[in-house]
Amino acid sequence: MTMNRRDFLKVTAGTSGGLVISLSLPGCAGIQTGYDQNSGDWKPDAWLELTTDDKVYFTLARVEMGQGTYTGLTTLIAEELEVAPAAIQPRFAPVAPEYRNPLYKLQLTGGSTSMATSWQPLRIAGASARIMLIRAAASVWEVSPEDCRAADGRVVHPNGNESLSYGRLVELAAKQKVPGDPVLKPREEWKYIGRNRGRLDAEAKSTGAPIYGIDVELDGMVYAVVTRPPRYGARLRSFDDSEARKLPGVLDVFEIERGVAVVADKYWRARKAQDVLTIEWDNSDALSLSNDEVFSSYHKAADEDPGESERSEGDYGDAVESAERLVDASYEQPYLAHATLEPMNATAWYRNNGIEVWAPTQAPDLGRIAAARVTDLSPDDVTIHTTFLGGGFGRRLTNDYIEEASAVAFRVGKPVKLIWSREEDTRHDLYRPAMLHRMQASVSGDQVTGWHHQIVGPQILDWYVRNAAPAQYPWAPKYLYNTLGRVGLMAEGIATPKDHSAIEGAIEYPYRVPNLDIRHTHTDPGVPVSWWRSVGFSHNGFAVETFMDELASELGQDPYQFRRSLIDHEPRHLEVLDRAVRLAQWDDPAPEGRARGIALFRSFGTYVAQVVEASVEAGEIRVHKVVCAVDCGQVVNPDIVRDQIEGGVIFGLTAALYGNITFRNGQVEQSNFHDYPLMRHDQRPEVVVDIVDSEAAPTGVGEPGVPPVIPALGNALFALTGKRQRRLPLKAQV
Amino acid sequence: MAVRLTVNGKKQTVEVESDTPLLWVVRDELGLKGTKFGCGKGLCGACTVHLNGQPVRSCSTPVEMAEGGDVITIEGLTTDGDLHPLQLAWVEHGVPQCGYCQSGQIMSAAHLLQHNESPSREDIVAAVSGNLCRCGTYSRIVAAVESVVESRVGQSSHGEA
Repeated sequence: MTMNRRDFLKVTAGTSGGLVISLSLPGCAGIQTGYDQNSGDWKPDAWLELTTDDKVYFTLARVEMGQGTYTGLTTLIAEELEVAPAAIQPRFAPVAPEYRNPLYKLQLTGGSTSMATSWQPLRIAGASARIMLIRAAASVWEVSPEDCRAADGRVVHPNGNESLSYGRLVELAAKQKVPGDPVLKPREEWKYIGRNRGRLDAEAKSTGAPIYGIDVELDGMVYAVVTRPPRYGARLRSFDDSEARKLPGVLDVFEIERGVAVVADKYWRARKAQDVLTIEWDNSDALSLSNDEVFSSYHKAADEDPGESERSEGDYGDAVESAERLVDASYEQPYLAHATLEPMNATAWYRNNGIEVWAPTQAPDLGRIAAARVTDLSPDDVTIHTTFLGGGFGRRLTNDYIEEASAVAFRVGKPVKLIWSREEDTRHDLYRPAMLHRMQASVSGDQVTGWHHQIVGPQILDWYVRNAAPAQYPWAPKYLYNTLGRVGLMAEGIATPKDHSAIEGAIEYPYRVPNLDIRHTHTDPGVPVSWWRSVGFSHNGFAVETFMDELASELGQDPYQFRRSLIDHEPRHLEVLDRAVRLAQWDDPAPEGRARGIALFRSFGTYVAQVVEASVEAGEIRVHKVVCAVDCGQVVNPDIVRDQIEGGVIFGLTAALYGNITFRNGQVEQSNFHDYPLMRHDQRPEVVVDIVDSEAAPTGVGEPGVPPVIPALGNALFALTGKRQRRLPLKAQV
Repeated sequence: MAVRLTVNGKKQTVEVESDTPLLWVVRDELGLKGTKFGCGKGLCGACTVHLNGQPVRSCSTPVEMAEGGDVITIEGLTTDGDLHPLQLAWVEHGVPQCGYCQSGQIMSAAHLLQHNESPSREDIVAAVSGNLCRCGTYSRIVAAVESVVESRVGQSSHGEA
């Protein structure tokens, strides 16, 4: 199609529409391009929208919880579209099949998958739009598209002088054929990928802009708080709200599935009314365990059941038979809370037979199921507006707070904001599972001939399927939700997907040991569990890399040389290991009173080696320095890779030094930051991050910084004291 | 009770119960959402504001204790759309990750800079050590504050020259 300039101006004058480029992720329904001549409406199954007034909107299908998707994914679009990242306005996606994470078939952000799953599709989306805009301009100028180029939101004429802004071209561009397989820009032409620094959301987050779920404000909004049973599994027997109802501002008090809700005109009034409720719980089905029982039940299960084989190579039995000696160790790791700094909250409004929810959630499609499950509504009647998240770390993959807010809003008929207190957040979390690891190695001479790892603990999916399974089948009638959850109808039809949450990081054991026997004994004490930053890698990293250290010590070898000799067949492992050691000056003695420990661990496709330098001062563990070498493939934003690895180190050290959720008679004993402490400014070590320059496809960085730092610190303490740390959190004196 | 406050230079009267934490007055009565709720016990620092020139934990400061007082919140650091030097440094250094704690971090640092022309690293760390960050942005916070201190020192020596 060609068009002269006068026709072109006629077409573009007075329109306000946008060019909508839509690409389908693998497994989703057909490619659509949407341009509404009349309304110019934005269509929700799209990433990109360009308007006649030169605005570029990018629909972000992965939430921003600090990990940098808002900047990183926008950079991918910017690169191919030829628009500066800062000129693009990202907005959070509504729930739609196109926005599902292709790895999970759910619209969720987790597993350090955002960059890896967006790397190709988003660049293709940007390139397709750019090509269509160039073709549109070429048709106006009656020149060959190959002779035109795009730069800074404009198409430039072959003469180099004239140009047309994208906004002028959108309507014509929408009429161009969608390129089937656009050629992406070669690496050497990148302007933003690998170069762009800083964060697009830094200003909003430095000026107190109201961007989080807890900041949502609606006309006529009221506040809710919920009292939940102190022991998991308890049910409400009765409650007396007569005192609460006398207090000013209290609007209603009623039972919901998860407890007793108080609704008041102000948050503080709701809290004060909550304090004077008298509630009796029926504890007949309640959790009653105490902490020692968790681990005694694990040991019992491990004795009775060798577990399912998850990886077997060679013949471990033979290795044991012919071994000169066996080395054994077992490790215990506690439950951990997520402790996002923004407590759980959601705002819900029921009206016109539908419910709108504003919430910081990592899984908005599961939020729809959660809201539908506790109301008369179907998932299609539920609209989720995702906000910025004040931390996620896996906690907000579970939408129990959306469930509660929806149940209250459904009854109240006004916009309701539900806010959890910190104590509620700590005591009603879904925890990183407590785990037991039994390790054994067969040794002959100076060779490790066999590796046995028995992982003992629960599987997370058992706790997650109730809302996750129906989210994949939103058309399923609600009476089937629990059935779907129970039978684990997830992902591809009838087959239950393999839950790797207990075994990941153990079954990928990378060292060259000929006989491997890796098993999982599935046992569940009944404490609700969920994904927690780095998930199974968080505990398996400690088990594998602590035992590797024990073996090095047993064989009288240097912990670095020992690992190196067993991993020289894995170049990417080897590279980060060598780099970390070089940077940490491993071969030089540590400063007086300090010692170093090392760990090497791959998680979420990213290779990380860390060297920790630590001491014990005045009876307390002091971490001085952490050197990290990282290979995460192609780096999109070097600042964000650095801050994610550094943040992962602080998160891991917090778990290593303080993290401990304990139970007494079924109740969580911790409540707030005085008894569930986080690492503070004055405790933080110096963190050095060295990133391998790589052209491999990018892998995640949100989680891989966490797992190795925990064993690396334990190994440093062993080097310092000669005493092995086999139980977390670590102690100054074992 | 009716409580009179001056918040970010503006005189306000709010009708609330006297034990209402200043945090909820600022957030819900005055609509200034930049001050965050983190723990409710003065343990995390996300709710830090300045009351009569001192940094306080607004989550555990009953509003009656602020009666007649002068309150500055994170929104009050920005004047006529111009960001405070600390806010500029926060953007420049890409400090925030999830960002939720950053208002409190900045308010603690702002108080330090008001009272100490050229704080040392130890002074900076001491001033913000009561502010928790779950994302672990600590090193960038210190770097951002130091950059403001350095530019100040640069300016004053330039002025003297």
